Amino acid sequence: MAAPARSLSLAVAEAAPRCQDELIIGAEAAHYALMSQVQGKAYAETVPLNVSLELTLNCNIRCLHCYNLDRDLPQGSCHDRAPTDDAAAAKPDLSLDDIMRLLPELREAGCLFLTLSGGEVLTYPHLFAVLDRARELNFAVQLLTNGTMLQPGIAARLASYRNLLGVSISLYGATPEVHDGITQMPGSWRRTWDGAQRLRGAGITVRLKFIVMRPNAHQVAEMRAQATSRGFAYLVDVTITPRHDGTRGSLAMRVSEEQLAELYRGPLRDLLPNGRLPATEERFPCNCARGNCAISAKGDVHPCVSVPWSAGNVREQRFADIWRASPVFEKIRGLRIADYEACAPCPDKPFCSRNRGAAYNYSGSYTGTDPFVCRSAAITREVVTADAPQATAAPPASRE
Amino acid sequence: MSAPTTASWRRDTELPFQKLAEETIVVDPRRREVHLLNETAARIWELLSAPRSVDELAAALGDEYDVGEAELREAVVELVDGLSSKGLLVAVGGTR
Repeated sequence: MAAPARSLSLAVAEAAPRCQDELIIGAEAAHYALMSQVQGKAYAETVPLNVSLELTLNCNIRCLHCYNLDRDLPQGSCHDRAPTDDAAAAKPDLSLDDIMRLLPELREAGCLFLTLSGGEVLTYPHLFAVLDRARELNFAVQLLTNGTMLQPGIAARLASYRNLLGVSISLYGATPEVHDGITQMPGSWRRTWDGAQRLRGAGITVRLKFIVMRPNAHQVAEMRAQATSRGFAYLVDVTITPRHDGTRGSLAMRVSEEQLAELYRGPLRDLLPNGRLPATEERFPCNCARGNCAISAKGDVHPCVSVPWSAGNVREQRFADIWRASPVFEKIRGLRIADYEACAPCPDKPFCSRNRGAAYNYSGSYTGTDPFVCRSAAITREVVTADAPQATAAPPASRE
Repeated sequence: MSAPTTASWRRDTELPFQKLAEETIVVDPRRREVHLLNETAARIWELLSAPRSVDELAAALGDEYDVGEAELREAVVELVDGLSSKGLLVAVGGTR
């Protein structure tokens, strides 16, 4: 043996947290840290450890803020047409055979964390066939759902998958009136909560995802309190983006600047970044096209689920070839802070989420900006520095 | 706890795992745990896709590592112990 055998490595990570660290919902600190280390290594080695696979665009509710498409427009009028990819509209959805062929390719390329999404993933008729194959291939699976179709039989069946990491459920209000007004489906709030509790009762880890919008901004504190009192982990997201079909009706759901400032000074204050870490070349990039990608229901490979910039299609090329040699991914991997022209001189970077999806869908450019995100960062800086001016002063613009 | 040398072991086939460079990540969703196996542990994890005893593991690794038989066996026992104590292995047959 070349070196004495070490016991299992459970070292505390040095790597900066990235957006997939949250995958191990409810894990203890050491495992979060190790997850961060693993994600950092995938990033450094350019291994697609995290893949999000959209199984269908069909959905049983009609959320006003939907990022996929405007479901109130006639089917096909703008269906799945990314801002830079008009040809996508004509592509058929991946068949079950396509997906069964794809899964081993993902495994071979290095994927471990497989997120299955939609549309509404539970409307996909072959979901359990995909889950069976994912189990055989030893993927760690997460489902994204609106929770309204989690009937008792479904929850019990999902609980039989030991490789199921958890289920993320979107929630849009503290009361039925607000949530159902956004989903345009009466009874959806109750069904979503019932589904969440049913899953947890079956032993499945559930995380709620609160999307904060104009109609529910006044309920944020109550939404958080409900989740806490019922023992659910949750995430909060305030960024509504233009849709992947190129329509912008969703933007009417964004909170106003005044609402955002009120939220950041009040019920979301504890979630704001402290801004203490400067935006270095190492910290500024996200996992897009590094440790992370997404595959649309049409088979297009995107740098992440929020950025519908096609790097290739898995029906036309092997996934590994797209991952390794796509000009789109090569371009993203080669970006430096200076390539983000508006961001490079901005003093708010340490306080900014730099939401690539918002920037891309708003501006049509991966390195572009979305004024909402910029204002969010500026307000964050104002709030945080007002609270602790000594510790959190913005770094000079020329820091990097 | 010490790995019983008369038992065979195999990895828990339902646990998600993936190689990442020379290491292997193993996830235990029920326990909310993630483990990163170093190169040696990863090799044992690979060998335990089929049931093997400690002696069989040591024999299989004998050609791959330049150490004495006793030292190798001790290292294998330690690693199997570690993997087993974390719930990543299943005992198959033999006696405890």
